Amino acid sequence: MAARRSRVRSRRSKAYREFVSEAEEVLERMRADLSDLADQNDAGAEVDPESVNSLFRSAHSLKGMAGMFGLDGLSELSHHLEDVLDGMRLGRVALDSPAASLIDEAVNVFVAELGSLDDPKTPVEGSEAVAELIGRIDSAVREPAAPTDALTGLDLDPALLRALTEYEEHRLRENMRRGRNIHLVEATFEILAFDEGLAELSVAVREAGEVLSTLPSPGAAGESQIRFGLLAASELDTDALRTRLDFPDATVRGVWAPAAAGSSPAPAVEASSDRAVAAPEAPPAADPREIESLKSISDTVRVDIRKLDELMNLVGELVIQRGAVNSIARRLQAEPATARIGRELEKIHKLLDRKIQGLQAGVLEVRMVPLRQVFEKLSRVARRLRRDTDKEVRLELRGADTELDKLIVEELVDPLMHVVRNSFDHALEPADERSALGKPEVGSIRIEAFQRGNHVVIEVADDGRGIDLERLQERGVERGLVDAGDTLSRREVLDLIFAPGLSTRDEVTETSGRGVGMDVVKNNLTALGGVVDVDSQEGRGTTITLTLPITLAIIQALVVGVGGQRYAVPLNSVLETMLVDTQEIQRSDGREILNLRGEPLLLRHLSQEFGLPEIEGAKPHVVVIGLGDARLGLVVERLEGQQDTVIKPVQGPVQNVRGIAGATELGDLGAVLVLDVAALIEDAGRRREAA
Amino acid sequence: MSANDAPGRDTGITGTTGNWEQLARSAAEPAAQRDEVLLLRELLAFELAGDPYAVPVERVREIVRLRPITPMPRVPEAVLGVIALRGEVIEVIDLRRRLSMPGVEPTRRSRIIVLHREDGCVAGLLVDAVNEVLRLPEDAIAPSAQGDSEAVEALCARGEEFVSLIDLEKVLDVDVER
Repeated sequence: MAARRSRVRSRRSKAYREFVSEAEEVLERMRADLSDLADQNDAGAEVDPESVNSLFRSAHSLKGMAGMFGLDGLSELSHHLEDVLDGMRLGRVALDSPAASLIDEAVNVFVAELGSLDDPKTPVEGSEAVAELIGRIDSAVREPAAPTDALTGLDLDPALLRALTEYEEHRLRENMRRGRNIHLVEATFEILAFDEGLAELSVAVREAGEVLSTLPSPGAAGESQIRFGLLAASELDTDALRTRLDFPDATVRGVWAPAAAGSSPAPAVEASSDRAVAAPEAPPAADPREIESLKSISDTVRVDIRKLDELMNLVGELVIQRGAVNSIARRLQAEPATARIGRELEKIHKLLDRKIQGLQAGVLEVRMVPLRQVFEKLSRVARRLRRDTDKEVRLELRGADTELDKLIVEELVDPLMHVVRNSFDHALEPADERSALGKPEVGSIRIEAFQRGNHVVIEVADDGRGIDLERLQERGVERGLVDAGDTLSRREVLDLIFAPGLSTRDEVTETSGRGVGMDVVKNNLTALGGVVDVDSQEGRGTTITLTLPITLAIIQALVVGVGGQRYAVPLNSVLETMLVDTQEIQRSDGREILNLRGEPLLLRHLSQEFGLPEIEGAKPHVVVIGLGDARLGLVVERLEGQQDTVIKPVQGPVQNVRGIAGATELGDLGAVLVLDVAALIEDAGRRREAA
Repeated sequence: MSANDAPGRDTGITGTTGNWEQLARSAAEPAAQRDEVLLLRELLAFELAGDPYAVPVERVREIVRLRPITPMPRVPEAVLGVIALRGEVIEVIDLRRRLSMPGVEPTRRSRIIVLHREDGCVAGLLVDAVNEVLRLPEDAIAPSAQGDSEAVEALCARGEEFVSLIDLEKVLDVDVER
């Protein structure tokens, strides 16, 4: 029997998609925590236990989620991660141990596995990479940490000590190792309101140090009262802490203080108390920290970007309907009989207009995310590069708060990563070469993002060897991209780095492959409606500049008419428009040029680009479009005004038509094609060389 | 085309043939079940230069009346351009030109059949008129006899005449200069 073709690819269930997005979020958080840890480690600072705890919680959630969806491999992997992290938070696994370095890797493997879940062939028990990693974690964890018993020197009831959880005990040891004072803060509370009072006290203690454990104490005054003891570590001594806390009902007692030298733990406070502390059944005391974290999560909402797209579409359609209302209002006003109604409708249209603009701005704002995430990923990459190679590099990141549409940010990560890797691999010289040149030994890569009008500009500048223009041109000749005898301008030579498969470095490295990729970067940027420029000074460094539109969703467009057709030009690429006399247009070697305030502006007729009939005699309009540094004058017949538009991709193979970025629906005009400004500018440049 | 079309499906078919939608809906039932029990295939039959052609019903998303088509530059002649349909922009292919027949001015009976493509997109096919949904036994569908047809996948016997089943993969695949 003829097999039916499935017409729609099988889609994952909603729950499944949510799992993936949630898992991605957890993994993202883990990466942030890992990067914090690494920073603290690099700086030689004390590791914040909360980072490790947070990692542990993340691994735990991943285990639960993966288990729920029967992904045994991933569940197992998270289980092992959890073990390592638990070891770390209890001090059993050293932070710089081989096991700890596997966490980074496990996160990457997890991400890769998530990405391949789409593929139904992916087995639930996980890939070989997962199994292999689990094996390595297992063997790494098996190295035991030697516990030293310093706790005997504490002026504390042994029963109370025994009630400490392993984690609490670890934190206690850690703080003693760091030479902090250990105190027991005790207070009595009314049972009915104890949680409030206890929280208040905990906060106060935490401001002065760390709360190691919260345990109920005996000796409450009355039936309706309860007494708690907080075991705390602080740089402050007992008296200072007492003053600092300023809690009239609380008693503060020194339990342990570091020896004068401060390094080796020794008993300093004489055991004075022989209070009988009944071994408290350590109850799962409410950890205020967990309560805090629950709160901070609950005031944000996670939204699937597709839902935002739907909202955006609806707003886009509202925009179109608004246009229709306006045109009806104008028609009514033109007729004397209906002029009054027309004016009223016009008023309503204005109100509607304001509300829709608010709505539009709101929806757009929701889609905006800061570049911070991308920057964090970049510093991770830089850290890995530093580790895998011997090169030192200083990564300078500026403008992390610059906001871009979420979709653009997603698409930006890979190209940006590529640019950074290229700089690291090819541009920055080894340390000895640098010092021979009189440069600072540590190379630097500076990434700076900022907003310029409707665009966001991201500059990646290195202080490396720069681009050897002669060598680049030779490579261009070898590849048949330019002729041997050609004299090219500096810019033309530099633009060669965006040609497919061209590299000035011959060696292959693991980090950036064969040095290919600038063409890929360029294609990615073009697909986003952006451009990439390069500037370089030999011996001084290279700057790659990425220019991107802030959003792809709603744009203002200039509608132009030519050859009986209408086209929309994204207004953010339009620099100016002008009506010119045919006599003002000069010709030079087959191309048309206009004198634009002393600068030559290359002209292209849109009708010729698209093979449309040209109407003779009409005074042409010139629309000056520009992206990055490039300019082009587009000759059209009519300007038909500005419109808010939502660019839609054209479905099917015709979406690849060169020079067309998509289409938009303009009220009763139906579909109007949107010009791909970057492609038009680029083609004009290319033809100039061919001519 | 008036701007205030009903937001729902503009099937463009009324009266006696109006039950096609119902049939299309039944086509959406578990396919295997029906195939095994009845061994019937459902085809949407349409007209091109007076001859009967068909496409599988399960590939049809909707049928719309002719609406303004925005011409597309730099595409083969058979691609008429794009239409805006409830927020989507869909390319429209003139099936006459795609099958190397001379194009004609559309009439009141002309329709655009919106079809699901293999890649998940949709595409429109301009035909002279849409007629009916055929339910044919699987064995009435024979692979195209001569084998040299570019676009006809099979010939289906319906009474005395043969209905040409369009090979959508070939017809909807258009080369575009990039």
